Amino acid sequence: MADKRAVGHAYNIDFLNVVFAVSSLFVLFTTVWMIWDDYDREWKNYQRDFTVLEMEVTRAGLTQAQQDIDQARVAELTAERVVAEQGLASNATQMDELEADLAEIDRELFVARQTYQFTKANYDVDRYAFEVRREEAHAEDPEAEVSGEAAVTALYEEWLAQGLDVEALSARRDGVRGQLASLREGVSGIDEELASLTAEIERLADVVADLEPSLIKNLLNAPMLDLMAPTLTVRQTITPNILDDVNFTVVPKLDRCETCHLAIDRVGYENYPQPFRTHPNLDVYVGSASPHSIESTGCTVCHEGMGQSISFIDASHTPATETQKAQWEEDYHWEESHLWDYPMLPTGMVEASCAKCHKGEVFVPEADNLNLAYGMYERAGCYACHKTAGFEGLRKPGPNLTKLESKLTEEWVANWIRDPRAVKPSTWMPRVWYNSNTDSPEDAVRNEVEIDAVVAYLFANSDDHEFAVANPGPGNAEEGQRLVESVGCLACHITGDETREAAGPRRTFGQPLQSVGSKTTVAWLFDWVRDPRHYNADTFMPDLRLTDSEVADVAAYLSGLTGGTGTGAGATYQAADVDAVLLDYLRAIVPFEEAQAELAAMSADERQLDLGRRAIGRYGCFSCHEISGFEDTQAIGTELSAEGSKLLPQFDFAFMHEEIPHSKRDWIKSKLLDPRIYDRNRILQPLEKLRMPNFGFSDDEARLLTTAVLSFQRDVQPKVAQVPRSARKDAIIDGRNLVRRRNCVACHEIEGDGGNYRDLVEEPHLAPPLLTPEGAKVQPDWLYAFFRDPITIRPWLDVRMPTFGLDDAHWNGVLDYFAAISDAVGPFRTHEAVADATELRTGEELFDLLRCQQCHVLDTIPEGQDLATLAPDLRMSPERLQPDWVLEWMIRPLDIQPGTNMPNFFTEYPGSFYPQFDQDAVAQIRSIRDYLWTFSGGPSPVRGN
Amino acid sequence: MDAIKSFIDAFADPRLFFSLAVGSLALVVWGHEAFASKRWGWGLMAFLVALFGFGLTDENFNLIITKPDNVPIVGLIFLLLFFTWYSVRQGVLNDRRIAAGKPPIEKDEEDRVWTWPDLVYTELIAIVICTIIIIVWSIALEAPLEQPANSANTPNPSKAPWYFLGLQEMLVYFDPWLAGVVLPTLIIVGLMAIPYIDKNPKGNGYYTFKERSVEITLFLFGFVVLWSSLIVLGTFLRGPNWNFFGPFEYWDIHKLEALTNVQLSEVIWVQLFAVALPDSWFIREIFGILLVIGYIAVLPVVLAKKGLTKYYEKLGPVRYYVTVLLFLSMLSLPVKMLARWLFNLKYIVSIPELFFNI
Repeated sequence: MADKRAVGHAYNIDFLNVVFAVSSLFVLFTTVWMIWDDYDREWKNYQRDFTVLEMEVTRAGLTQAQQDIDQARVAELTAERVVAEQGLASNATQMDELEADLAEIDRELFVARQTYQFTKANYDVDRYAFEVRREEAHAEDPEAEVSGEAAVTALYEEWLAQGLDVEALSARRDGVRGQLASLREGVSGIDEELASLTAEIERLADVVADLEPSLIKNLLNAPMLDLMAPTLTVRQTITPNILDDVNFTVVPKLDRCETCHLAIDRVGYENYPQPFRTHPNLDVYVGSASPHSIESTGCTVCHEGMGQSISFIDASHTPATETQKAQWEEDYHWEESHLWDYPMLPTGMVEASCAKCHKGEVFVPEADNLNLAYGMYERAGCYACHKTAGFEGLRKPGPNLTKLESKLTEEWVANWIRDPRAVKPSTWMPRVWYNSNTDSPEDAVRNEVEIDAVVAYLFANSDDHEFAVANPGPGNAEEGQRLVESVGCLACHITGDETREAAGPRRTFGQPLQSVGSKTTVAWLFDWVRDPRHYNADTFMPDLRLTDSEVADVAAYLSGLTGGTGTGAGATYQAADVDAVLLDYLRAIVPFEEAQAELAAMSADERQLDLGRRAIGRYGCFSCHEISGFEDTQAIGTELSAEGSKLLPQFDFAFMHEEIPHSKRDWIKSKLLDPRIYDRNRILQPLEKLRMPNFGFSDDEARLLTTAVLSFQRDVQPKVAQVPRSARKDAIIDGRNLVRRRNCVACHEIEGDGGNYRDLVEEPHLAPPLLTPEGAKVQPDWLYAFFRDPITIRPWLDVRMPTFGLDDAHWNGVLDYFAAISDAVGPFRTHEAVADATELRTGEELFDLLRCQQCHVLDTIPEGQDLATLAPDLRMSPERLQPDWVLEWMIRPLDIQPGTNMPNFFTEYPGSFYPQFDQDAVAQIRSIRDYLWTFSGGPSPVRGN
Repeated sequence: MDAIKSFIDAFADPRLFFSLAVGSLALVVWGHEAFASKRWGWGLMAFLVALFGFGLTDENFNLIITKPDNVPIVGLIFLLLFFTWYSVRQGVLNDRRIAAGKPPIEKDEEDRVWTWPDLVYTELIAIVICTIIIIVWSIALEAPLEQPANSANTPNPSKAPWYFLGLQEMLVYFDPWLAGVVLPTLIIVGLMAIPYIDKNPKGNGYYTFKERSVEITLFLFGFVVLWSSLIVLGTFLRGPNWNFFGPFEYWDIHKLEALTNVQLSEVIWVQLFAVALPDSWFIREIFGILLVIGYIAVLPVVLAKKGLTKYYEKLGPVRYYVTVLLFLSMLSLPVKMLARWLFNLKYIVSIPELFFNI
């Protein structure tokens, strides 16, 4: 230390020494703290924990493999090997000689190869040098002689000669090796088999050895030293075709989720807690053979969240349930992410992301939540008010109101729109008035004024409707009930007290029939059921081809379904109240004086009608219903085509910021549960209030619809990330949409989805048929004719195929779809089967032997036949079925239609149980098919029933 | 507790905040003798700690001050108080010595010290302490990884870096060309000009208050009130839509403030003369233009004749004018604030035809 002279010191050096010592200690502590902080990172601890778990699981696997091994076979092989070894002893001398030879040859070969390679290297250098020299000389004098070419050529010759040496030596070596192998043949074969038996054990043993803790590994992962080559590393996937939109450009996605989710793609970790659990569906996601492998798809394109982050909170994890949320708040101090625009979707909503790549598909295979959500979105008619890409050009979801007068009374309509669910608890019709921002006593008068005005407008603008049959006879209600419950009405309509949620969008595709008797008259019901298109040419309700007396029965039954008359008026009002409300509407568009003048010019009736028109316009009734006077009016809702991409700050939580968590999904869900919720505690003039009606969604319905809304996103993912489009793919997508938008799937199972009608019949075989293989199974001409004019194929079924009255474009779409899903698109196929007489005889005999007719009854079904054993009339075959398909069908009926009653007669295919016929199964099946093709005279849609 | 918070929130208003800052400065200058005592220094520091301690119990306040970006400003408040107090105290102590006929403390000390250990050693210690602070800071306050910047989504409120929040506050009262270009330039130029303007050797190399009381007051007004207190205001009390929020108030994006400001031309023509605004912008704004010219050109001359004659004589015309112009520019902010608060005055000169407003 410097000498302490009296002058020249500003500080007490002893004091400075103390300060320095203390601060040095602190810097040491903080440095240690810093290193520890890095060592103690969340993901490193997860990886350490996983090492232990992985060890445990692999050891268990190893033990299992050791148990599973065929011990007897191993012992047997080992014994055989001993014997074989002994056999080798006699050749020991010869083998030793050969081994010695081989060693000598290997040595020579090494030298020869090296010489050969060195010569080549020298030759290349000399040649190049000569080339350059010659090039330079020729540049000055093209005729100049350049020496040295001979030396280069000589070197080349030398190199070739050395190559021959190498080849000769290699051949000698192979010869000796061959001799050795043939001497040792017995043993090496046994060794191979032993190795294949124990391969799994050895692989697992190697893994265990790798996982064993070791000093080296500990050193590599030690604090500070882990900067070099730690085994604990951040693991990431970069997906070149899946992009992140970073606003100014797009970049490949970078996901580091695997850093903690270490077993996400590994079988065997299904029951371990997160983050070490295997993905629940490796066949479809993550797995390397799945269509969405982790290398091609990554994680966050589906799950959302911040893929680059390796901390639980920053990755924007989102809890799936309230319990989980509470747990996370305790464990991780979790809170809703504000630093990432797209926080992870909770488990129940992840399928919203499917639509990023599966564009315009209303049905995405395996995405059950999303499919149901889209079904609900259409059924609730969200798209009618909210323009949505992919849902354009659809019909108006509500009934046509242009001929209201023939069907309903004003009182019923007023009670209905006052609270639809009080009349039919499972209706999709929402409540427009008396919602959370209009249900105070002060609002009642205005509500009633508007309701009555709307009703008055609808009735004043109702066209006449003439019933097709003037005085239908009385029907039998009991018979009507039987018909309704058996012919298929229940596929689209519910009659009982089922909730809308339980029935689902498919079984509420048509209006619920609860209290339909209190709603309308028998006469109207008769007219409607008899021919729905007579009342509304655009209806989706098909014709079930009932006779007039059956229709009368149905009408009698339906008119007996009385019940809920709804809620009565909440207030009475005077003419002055109508004027006041109308004036309010008028003032919003014209100056006050003008509004008053306009009002004064109208009679009381005119005022009410004008108000009705304006109220319908304001609440958007016309979006869902055909209403005269609103043919060209634009929908009133916000467009939702990119709602899922909208950023959180653009959602207005108003005064609900305490009650509703700050996330898009909570905002949307709360809006769905109470569409007027964001008006709460606000002072608003009547025309400023929110006007989305209340659908009474259950929590789960709201969750699904939120999923649908979140799935509407702006395009970010490139074409290469999407399923390649082709004519076939287009046919599939259009077809999938069509069979859902017409509710075919309520009755028929197609592509593993639908067939809900099965739940309504006692036995599965009494349900409408599965249509997945239809394209391969039936001839398109026949199917087209069948669609146009269905015939009875399965007489034992009560449920029947309705006549839909679709146009050819639609039917062709369905045919293309069926062909595409059963891979039957292709060149023209013949429907003709050419056969010779012998074959036909064999076919006939087999037909009798296998007793095909016992189930496939030809013509009239005998009395007392067990319905469960019936199958279609085979006389239809030549006209109806594809000849090739019939062959397939007989070989593997259960594969084509799981659960079918058709037995497999050829389980030993191509062998046969019927050796008496001088043919194999291939020919036998063919001859049966050919025999079928001689049939004729069955029911036919082509020629008429 | 809640009553106190509501009380504080109810009074939260830029006018009150600014008046409080000016008032505090006036008190410090007026009572600098008392302010320099250790009791006051520690007392104020304790008061500040108590204030933040109390504030931490509140969810909304907590959210603001524990945000990693805002932590430096919390530190700034404490440091600002400490250094203001320290400099005043040192000045007051020296003033007492000078009054008693003794030289200032600094003159008593050696004017030369050893490079080693005095200089290098203290520098080393400073380095070590800074290292500690930076390491601890980086461990304790992690920088978050945020979403990619989005030009289509402006954060609300959009705040400048903390050291520019004083400038941003000026935007409430001035057009961007003034608040963002002219005034900051004048600040920088003015700071550079100080050594050439102020040739007074008093206070060189030692603390004093009495000998330089006017300069110190002016500096404290400019730095503590106009610059630092506006940073604090901008950080803690400005919320969504740049509305003013009490420290314990929820930053509700829907909060509204009635915008009922008027232009000077409207006051003069419509309210005073009771005629419609003239069509020509020049005639319409003539009074404002005259007022501005009067403020920057005539006022210095008037002040030279009366009021600041002493300075005019001491500095000479050029230095006098530069000084007064800088001083008037600085004062233009509080002048504009007062005009806004008292008369709802938006612009003195407002020529939207030329995108020119003062």
